[in-house]
Amino acid sequence: MTNLMFNLRAAVRLRSAALGLAIMLGPISVQMILVPMTTHAAAPAPLQSFNSAGVSPRPVEDTTSASIQRDYAHAWKSLVVALEENRTELLNENFTGTARQQWQEAIHTQKQNGLSRRIVDHGHSVRVTFYSLDGSALEATDTADLEIQYREGGKVISTERVQAHYLVLLTPAENSWKLRMLQEVPAN
Amino acid sequence: MNSLHRSIIVGLLCTASALCLGQVRVSGSGQAGADATLQISGSGSTTLYLFGPGGASKRTVQRGTVTIPGDELKVAGRYVAVLDDSRTSFFVSAAPLQKISFITHPSRVPAAANGAVLGSAYLFDRYQNLVLAPTPVSFQLGVAGSAVEERKVIGKNGVAWVQLNSGRRSGPAQFIASSGEVSVRRVVQHVAADPCNIRMNASRAPDGNILVETDAIRDCSGNAVPDGTIVTFTSVDSAGRSTVDARIKRGFARAELPASSSATLSVAAGVVLGNEIHWGGGL
Repeated sequence: MTNLMFNLRAAVRLRSAALGLAIMLGPISVQMILVPMTTHAAAPAPLQSFNSAGVSPRPVEDTTSASIQRDYAHAWKSLVVALEENRTELLNENFTGTARQQWQEAIHTQKQNGLSRRIVDHGHSVRVTFYSLDGSALEATDTADLEIQYREGGKVISTERVQAHYLVLLTPAENSWKLRMLQEVPAN
Repeated sequence: MNSLHRSIIVGLLCTASALCLGQVRVSGSGQAGADATLQISGSGSTTLYLFGPGGASKRTVQRGTVTIPGDELKVAGRYVAVLDDSRTSFFVSAAPLQKISFITHPSRVPAAANGAVLGSAYLFDRYQNLVLAPTPVSFQLGVAGSAVEERKVIGKNGVAWVQLNSGRRSGPAQFIASSGEVSVRRVVQHVAADPCNIRMNASRAPDGNILVETDAIRDCSGNAVPDGTIVTFTSVDSAGRSTVDARIKRGFARAELPASSSATLSVAAGVVLGNEIHWGGGL
């Protein structure tokens, strides 16, 4: 009983303190809302939709579809963190071949020049366009809703929000699908 | 968009704030590896940042005409140039086709099998960018000296694929994917399919056993079934069943079955049954 009373009093004190803090920080909070992307950007990349209906020459099996969605989302998550923190090694798990080489080079030159990119990933709409008969490759288009902050050191030099369109080529590895191509293309 | 001349203001995204100091226009062929030119309004120097899919750079430039060397534009995709408070983006597309990555399946295939040979061609430029423009690709499959099966396909999004019947003749088939001057060759070994019409003869061996021997064993296209293929001879008589597995040697298979005064002899290879012989007085 004593414990319960103590907890209640503590909760009331905490609520009052929180309220006071909110009043004090009011203007700052408003400012934080107005300044975009002030929170850490390493959120997972959500797949808003994944459409593999009618793909040729081979249909995508349910288990393959689930694996691809998991691995593709993970690849984007890795890319977002790698570009922000300039860490090339983060691409090793989900990227291979040309995609890995190109994005690692991008990160390498970013780091050399004291630059970085912070991406807030608002989601992807993926449509499979080709799945090879022998199951060795899958191609898809991805429309991604991205908020990109271009930075030099800690300073934001530009920010944009784009509907980016990608052509994606994935190939199976031992236990997962890896991104082999990630090529941004014009909208149409 | 294959020419930035046409859409030089593509992606001119000078931020809408009052701080926007000048405009940037981009020109060039828009192909990977080619120089691009930025026209920057105003005078004096400024810092130009360039973010792309294969790199990011920073340099001090004089306003006016600034050339971005093709070395920095080798990766196809969207590039973002930032200077002052202006930002412009432009696309670089793949250079002309220079390499075909050709994946074929399987490496060995039975002759005269429908849709058994698969080929996928991935079209790349010299910088490993996928060539997305519709590109005609020709596929050819055939064993030397026999009819060649050919199919023409338009590559879409950098990929062209085909599913072909295997040829009727066994041997190493050349499987070629080509587009313009670029050509890639793979070998798909055509092997004889299942035997067709196995025929055997029986005679008495000097020791009294039954000597069984096949005619030359071929598939239905006339290709010799490879040596080493197992052929099973069976004898059924009043004493029971005797079975002997023999390998094809130089096109023929032979074996000795136990002596019997009356037996039914049969021959098979895989799922294919041959003729049956009633030996002696019958069962």
